[in-house]
This record gives sequence, C-alpha cells and structure tokens, in this order.
Amino acid sequence: MRSFINPLFAVLLAGLLAACSSTPTEEDTSATDTQPTDSQSSPAEPVERPAPSKPDTSSIPVTADNFHNHPSNYDGTTDTKVIYFAFDSNTVPAAAFETLRAHASYLKDNPNAKVRLEGHADERGTREYNVALSERRSEAVQKFLRVQGVSSSQVEIVAYGEEKPAAFGHSEMDWAKNRRVVLNYTAGRP
Amino acid sequence: MMRVLAFPFIVAMLSLLAVNARAELLIQITEGRTDAVPISVVPFAGAGDAPENVSDIVRADLHRSGQFKTLSPKDMLSRPTSKEGLSYRDFRVLNQEYVVIGKLKATGTGSYEVSYALHDVARGKELISETYRPPESQLRDVAHAISDRIYEQLTGIPGAFSTKILYVTHNRGAERPYQLQYADADGARVKTILRSREPIMSPSWSPDGTKIAYVSFEKNGLPKIYVHNLSSAERRVVAQFKGINGAPSWSPDGQKLALTLSKGGNPDIYSLDLNNGDLEQLTDHYGIDTEPRWMPDGDHLVFTSSRSGGPQIYQLNVDDKSVRRVSFEGAYNARPEVTPDGRYLVYVHRRNGSFNVGVQDLQRGTFDIVTQTNMDESPSVAPNGSMIIYGTQHRGTGVLQAVSIDGRVKVELPSKEGEVREPAWSPFL
Repeated sequence: MRSFINPLFAVLLAGLLAACSSTPTEEDTSATDTQPTDSQSSPAEPVERPAPSKPDTSSIPVTADNFHNHPSNYDGTTDTKVIYFAFDSNTVPAAAFETLRAHASYLKDNPNAKVRLEGHADERGTREYNVALSERRSEAVQKFLRVQGVSSSQVEIVAYGEEKPAAFGHSEMDWAKNRRVVLNYTAGRP
Repeated sequence: MMRVLAFPFIVAMLSLLAVNARAELLIQITEGRTDAVPISVVPFAGAGDAPENVSDIVRADLHRSGQFKTLSPKDMLSRPTSKEGLSYRDFRVLNQEYVVIGKLKATGTGSYEVSYALHDVARGKELISETYRPPESQLRDVAHAISDRIYEQLTGIPGAFSTKILYVTHNRGAERPYQLQYADADGARVKTILRSREPIMSPSWSPDGTKIAYVSFEKNGLPKIYVHNLSSAERRVVAQFKGINGAPSWSPDGQKLALTLSKGGNPDIYSLDLNNGDLEQLTDHYGIDTEPRWMPDGDHLVFTSSRSGGPQIYQLNVDDKSVRRVSFEGAYNARPEVTPDGRYLVYVHRRNGSFNVGVQDLQRGTFDIVTQTNMDESPSVAPNGSMIIYGTQHRGTGVLQAVSIDGRVKVELPSKEGEVREPAWSPFL
C-alpha cells in the first residue's frame, strides 16, 4: 500500500505545483456541469480503484489535495450544504454533482425556497482579490443550478473571500476546508 | 523660537469616538539602521505628577523610527533639564550627536506648560526651543508633536508620529468578533469605531483624515460600502449594488471613491462621485479587476487585474481609461499602493509560495522584496513615505508589522488580543 501511495502522492504534488503557477484558463474557467478538467485528484483515483461502478470511498484516504472532490464530503442529498474547491480553482468537483442535482430538484419543486450561495477562499493572497475569486466559486455553483433548470430568482450569491473561514488553522487541510461554497437557504429550508 | 499649539481637532475626534480599548498594540523595534543617529532624550523635569511621560514617549518615537539610536537615561552621565544645566561634554563623551532636554509645569485647571529644546552636541548649539500649553488630555499629542519636530529638523522629512493607524481586528468567539479600530501610530489610545458579527474589510482614509470608508457585511451578511465621519460618528451607505461592493479608495481631492463592483457581471473598477452619487465605470474586462488605489496626481489609478492570467498590477489613466501593466516579476502581484511622492509602488508579491511586500521603484524600474515574514498583506505607506505598515502572521495569529521603504528598519506590533489586520496609515492629521 505504501509503495502504491508514494507515486500517487507525486502525481498529486505535480498537480498542485502546476496549479500554483496559475494559468489564465485556470482562474477564469467558469465551471459547468461537465467533468472538471483540472482536478488534481481525478487522475489519481482510477489508479487507486480501477473502474468502480460505486466506489468504496472508505478506502480512499482524504488528503488536502483530494478533499474538494472526496466522495465522503457529499452525500448526494440536500443534507450536504458545502461544496469544496481545489486550490486556485472555481470548477465544481465531480463528486458534488449528485448533491447539487438534489438541491436543484428541491429548488424546482419548492419555488418559494431561496438559497444564498456563499463563496469563500483560503487565506493565501490579498483580501479583495480573494473576494473576487470566491465570487467566481459562487457563480460556478449558480451556473450549475441554472443549467439544471433552477430559476435565477431563487438563487443569490455573496462573496466573503477569506473573511469567514471554517477552519482557523494554517495547514493545507485547513485551506482545503476553507475553499468552499456554502448553500445557505434563506427561505424554504429543506 | 517659541511656539504655542493647541489640538482642538484631535480632541474632538478622540472624545466623541472613545468606545473601548480592547486589542492593545505593543510596538517593538526588531531591526534598526546600523548608521542610526545617536540621540539622548533626557527625562523632563516636573514629569512626576503628569499622566503621560512626555520624554519617554519622545524617546520611544525616535527609537521606533529606526533612524535614531536612543540612549537609556540610566547610561547618561548627567540629566540636565535646562540650558544652563546642560554640559555638552557629558554627551560628547558618550558619542551622542544630539540631546533633548525639557520640563513640564502644571499651570492649574488641568493644563500643562511643556518646554523642550533640541541641542547639537558637536557644535554646542541649540537647534529648537519650543513651548506647548496643552490640557492634560493632550500631553500625548504634544509628545508626538515634539517627536515630529525633532525628526524633521534632523532628517529633513516631516515626522509621522502624530498620525493614526486604522485596522480591523478579529476576536474569534466574541459575540461581535469583527471590529474596526484605530490607534496612535505608536499603538496607544486604541478606539473602536465599529463592532460587528459580520466581516469588516478594506478601511481607507479620506485625504483630510476626517472620514473613513470601509466595507461592512453587517446588514444581512451582504457587503456595503460605508463612509463614516470620525468626529460625528455619522455614517452613510454609498454603495450597495448586487454582488461585490469592495476595495474603496479615496481620490486625492477627497471628492471620489474608487471601488470594485461586480454588478456588471464580473469585478470592475468604478469611480463614485461622493457629492452627487454619479458612478463611472473605469474598467471593463472579463477578468478580475479590483484593489484600486489612486496615484497622488489624481489622474491615474493602480489596481490588481487577472486579465493576463494571475493577478498583476496595472495602471489606469482615468481620462482616457487606457490601461498598462506595471508589474512583471513573478506570477502573483496584488493590492498596490503608491507612496505619497509617486515614486514607489508597494504591493504583495508571491515567491515560492510565500507572500511578501515588494517595492517597485517607478523611476529606476527596480523591484525589491522588503519583508522576510510570510503571508504578508495589505501594505499601507506612512504619509511621510518613510515606513510601510502591513498585516502578517506570527505564530498563527494575524499581527501588524512595519518596515522602512528601503527594508532596513523593521518594527513589530504584536497585539495582545485577537487577530489584527488590514492596517491603513492615516494622512497627516
């Protein structure tokens, strides 16, 4: 197992380093409901579990690098209200698709329900720039819901940047927990 | 030369705003210039009953500037308090270049007479002699005014000891964890302007120092930009558009605010006329444009933009809205500010995953990293251009630090309680 993880870790690290050098496409890709292209963990997971129909998530270790796309963070229902993002990314992770579809169905079935998409960034970088980055994350989730047919009048977005962290430490895992969009129902909570 | 000064404005500002002093700042110098000028500030006579130790404050001010090496009173051979009692020789043998002497006298009804003189030890000559007559409550202001005078006399640059620092604190667990506060430039006399359950961001001074602008999420968790009069504590909302309302920056003439709005679909720079509310869009790009700062000429802005990929610094001509890139080193440059003389551009630069304050010389084109800390942000330049104050992390907590433009002087301002961030150095008050 150990010998298995080391090259995997190297792949993840390479992905992270590539993300650090921040290309225009990376920051400006607006997320869609298509498969994410820049996720660092997606090339790694098939190595761990070749072609699973329903992956056994318990065996995939949660790391700061795959946290945003880790199945254990998303239960596929509206109980999950936090969507995580990779470093410097505003691409909705594939593992969150089912959860977001559940929210979309709920919103369509309950026209009086209103959700506020609260975007957040980790603490690295300048504060107002992070507000702008976190708005892009909220917009990515908004776009996903809209593509699913949710009325725009039911969705509001707000960008908090790094001002309201969920985790107060300064590790890679703390940062992974802070790069997120929170679905905050302001009316008609499921 | 004799001068008598009063401080009506500062008194008004302080008494009306005094709410509570929570996060107290302590200031210590960590690195000074090796060629700092030796100066002795002798304890003033008659200081025993006064509520403020004026000579201690002056000595600390001069020391903290990094330009001076102050002598501890216990190392002085004599402690003169008048011209007649001053022996230049006692200071010459200790290699002192200047000596400051003075005295306080209570004049009844809570007032004081503060006299001081600055002497050149080598030439055996008096350079300044002044008297102030402040009420007791303004002794600290007089001390900073004395420091300003001495600093200007000896360096040719106006002192910035009588200025204020505006900043945001975050005290996790408190009922209202976010606070907007300001303090003297030496960290004393902390005043709280606003407390909130929701974030407060991007405080900015009006050029005359009477008002501030900031972003507050206090209403329903949504961002609005407020203009707040410091002496009256009156405030008004000036921007509450859909999306981001951020990064206010006052124009040099005080008539406009540059700000970031995303109401048009993505963050762009706008100029808001504070007199008539007219809003003018200055940038229009699908990338992120934010963190505008006026240049001293009032005709240009610098700002952060992702239009070339990662964040870089751009300069905007307000008249024709032309934009040109000004930062080229590295993949992350953001939150620019220009020194009052327009010569240096100060901003956050990322190198090897570390965020530091960089200074770009716009005349010579050079670029230098001036901080060795990590996670540095929000640099703000003193009105005399001497120092940059910025936010950073120390042992996992947000603290303020200051560094000289040339990187040779470093000052630490650890907070006793909570996180401190986003410092904004006031103009001359």
